[in-house]
Formats: sequence, C-alpha cells, structure tokens
Amino acid sequence: MIYFYPEGVNLKIDESKQIVEALLIASPEPLTEARFKAAMGEVKTKAPLKEIIDELQTEYESSNRSFFIKEVAGGFQIVTKAEYETYIKGLFTKSGKLRLSQAALETLAIVSYRQPVTRNDIEAIRGVSSDSSLRTLLDRKLLEIRGRDEGPGRALLYRTSSEFLQYFGLNSVKDLPKLREVEDILSEDQEELL
Amino acid sequence: MLSRSHRIDLEMFEGPLDLLLFLIKRDELNIYDIPIAQITKDFLGYVELAKELKLHSAGDFVLMAATLMKIKARMLLPVEAEGDEEVEDPRTELMNMLLEYKRYKEASSAFAEMERHERPHYYHIPVAFSPQQEDQTAILEDVKLYDIMLTFQYLLKNFEEPVTHAVAVEEVTLSEQIGFLQGLLQSSPKLSFANLLERFESRLIVVVTFLAILEMLRNRQVKVKQSKLFDDLLLSRGSKFEN
Repeated sequence: MIYFYPEGVNLKIDESKQIVEALLIASPEPLTEARFKAAMGEVKTKAPLKEIIDELQTEYESSNRSFFIKEVAGGFQIVTKAEYETYIKGLFTKSGKLRLSQAALETLAIVSYRQPVTRNDIEAIRGVSSDSSLRTLLDRKLLEIRGRDEGPGRALLYRTSSEFLQYFGLNSVKDLPKLREVEDILSEDQEELL
Repeated sequence: MLSRSHRIDLEMFEGPLDLLLFLIKRDELNIYDIPIAQITKDFLGYVELAKELKLHSAGDFVLMAATLMKIKARMLLPVEAEGDEEVEDPRTELMNMLLEYKRYKEASSAFAEMERHERPHYYHIPVAFSPQQEDQTAILEDVKLYDIMLTFQYLLKNFEEPVTHAVAVEEVTLSEQIGFLQGLLQSSPKLSFANLLERFESRLIVVVTFLAILEMLRNRQVKVKQSKLFDDLLLSRGSKFEN
C-alpha cells in the first residue's frame, strides 16, 4: 500500500523501516534526527524517526535478535546485547575493551562537569600532574581540544566529545550523575564521626 | 626506616590529596579540624616511600609535604588579629582542596560504574564499501586539530636537516607563507602537504608553513582533509578563501 503526501517522494510504511535500519547500520555515528533528515532529503517517511525506531525495536525484541537500538549521544545506535560479550571479546587481540585508569576517570570527571577547562584547572583539583591521562583521553577521542583560554598563557581548553557520551551510554552531558555538594559530603563525614 | 603502616601500596593513591583523604578516613579525623602535626608526620613517611619507589608523582607529594609543614608552622605562631578582621584558619585552603577533590573522586566512581555497564555492548563501525569512490583519500572530513598536530609531528620526524656548511640567514615570515599557500591554492584546488614539504629545504620553512596552514584554518581560508591518522594532509580552499 502506498501513502501519498502533498510534497516530495512518498514511501510505503514498510520501506521506511528498512531505510531507517539501513541508516542505523551504515551510520558512523549515532543516527540523530538531523542526520536522518539530511540523509532522507526530499523523501518523506510515513512516521517520525522515533516511531519507526520503536517499531524496529519491537520487531528485534519479538524475533529475539542479538542486538537492540540504544538511544545515545542524542541519536540512535544498534548495539549488541551484553550476553554476547564473551564471544565478541574473542574477536579482539587484547581482552576486549581497555578499561580507563582511575587517573583517567578522575580527569574525565573534572572535565565533564567543568568544561571547558585547562590542564591547570584539572591539576589544581587533582593535586597531581595530569598530562598522561589527558593524552590517553585525547587518543581515545573521549576528550577534544576546543580553543584556548582567554587568560594569560592562552592555555588549551578541553571538553568532552560525542564519543565520550557514546562510551558512557549517555544521551547528553545533562544526563551525568549529579555532582555531590560539598555540604552533603561534610554532613556525612560529621555523621560518620559521631 | 619505614614503619609497617607505610607499607601500603603507595601507587594505589592518585596523588597527595588522595593519600590525605585516606589518612583522614583511616584515623577517623575531623576534616574541619585536621590535626596538622599528626597528619604531617604520617604524610612525610609516605613521601620518603614515594621517593624511594621513584614514583613519577613524587614531586607532587613533596610539594604537599611542604604545604603541610607551612601550615604547621603558621599554627604554632601567635596570631595577631588586625582590627575586626577575622583571622583565617591556616588549614582552610587545604580543607577546601580536599573537599573539592573528594567530589570529583566520588564522581569518578560513578563513571567507572557507567563504563562497567556499557562495556559489554558493542557496536559496529561501518566502512564504506565502494571501490570507485570519487575521492578515496578524503574519508576523514572531520579532522580535529589534535590529529593535525600529531600528523605534523610525524611528518617532521622524516624531515631531516640536510648537512650544510655555509651559514645563511633564512628570512621567512608567516605572512609570506600564507601568501605562498594562497597562490598555490589559486592555481590548484587541492594541495598535498607531503608534496609541499618536498619543496622545502629547512625545518624552519616547514614549521612556518605549518603555522601558516593553522592560521588559515582558523580564518577558514583552507580546509584540511585526511584519510587516516598520520596520513598526508590534503588542503583545499575554505569558505573564506580570498582570491
């Protein structure tokens, strides 16, 4: 059955699903609404992207596929289910993905809550040189350099990337866990003492 | 001599602040009212250990030890209050640093938890399969400044200074090289940075030309593309290219 629309090329509902699926598989980054629109151009789909995604999701669930669609970094992405990790790990030479060190995690936490930040800002909080963790995070593309500080020395400014959101399964930086207030930490410490 | 209590793996601490937080917790100290003399004594023991282990962060531990000793000295001195000004506790700054660090340390464990949660999920990174791709070299459109710097560092390594005997002062300026690149881009829409390098004889010109590219990149006079990291940089006219 063909649905007619006043403008552009029209698609059958079933084909919309196939197109979205193809885009999900071929997209180098999570498929956002904007990228989806750009890819579709003049062509109109029967339903909005989110609805088509939901339909695909239901289909994958009912047919017991090894993957599902995850909403991440403001878009959608096909990821494998956790239960297949054991097998997938075998595809990689090392033992799967490398975990971030405590130093890298602390550095990342400071950048993500206070971005954009300079290396000095990070080191002032951590009290240790953070050069090597910054380099690791840049190499893994979790951080990126965005311009320079206006102050003296014009230090490089760091911020988190969209790969960062992907890596931690976040939709946006707004989804970060709330940073605890100093007062909370203090009152808890006092309770511990009493 | 190191006491037994120091035989904790010092490397498990992320730095002096982390160690101080550990000591405060272990000895159930009040962070509002840190017994500076006691904690300095304990801390110094670890600093010795850090030096002995030649930890790369030993310098940071030494610096903190100096701060602790300074606070300790200030606490021993009689305070002279000037007028109505309230005298600040010499420990306040340290306390604030410890609390601020503690916030992010806590947050980092939330990150570790998110990482653990996401780890088992894998996604596919697609590779375009088309042998007749129009411009095979330009795959990475979104070249980041960091990638460009890495590539430059890599290319410069191959650029050995030739042995010359006559010493001549080379005059090359940033604006000259910008003009030079503009001229080249006017006659050809695409330029290979590696090919460009072959024309130059000294590292100085290479570096100045690279700075010219960065400057033009900033002013949107050029665009830079790269097929993969460390690969050649392909220059083309940017949106603000001046004819």
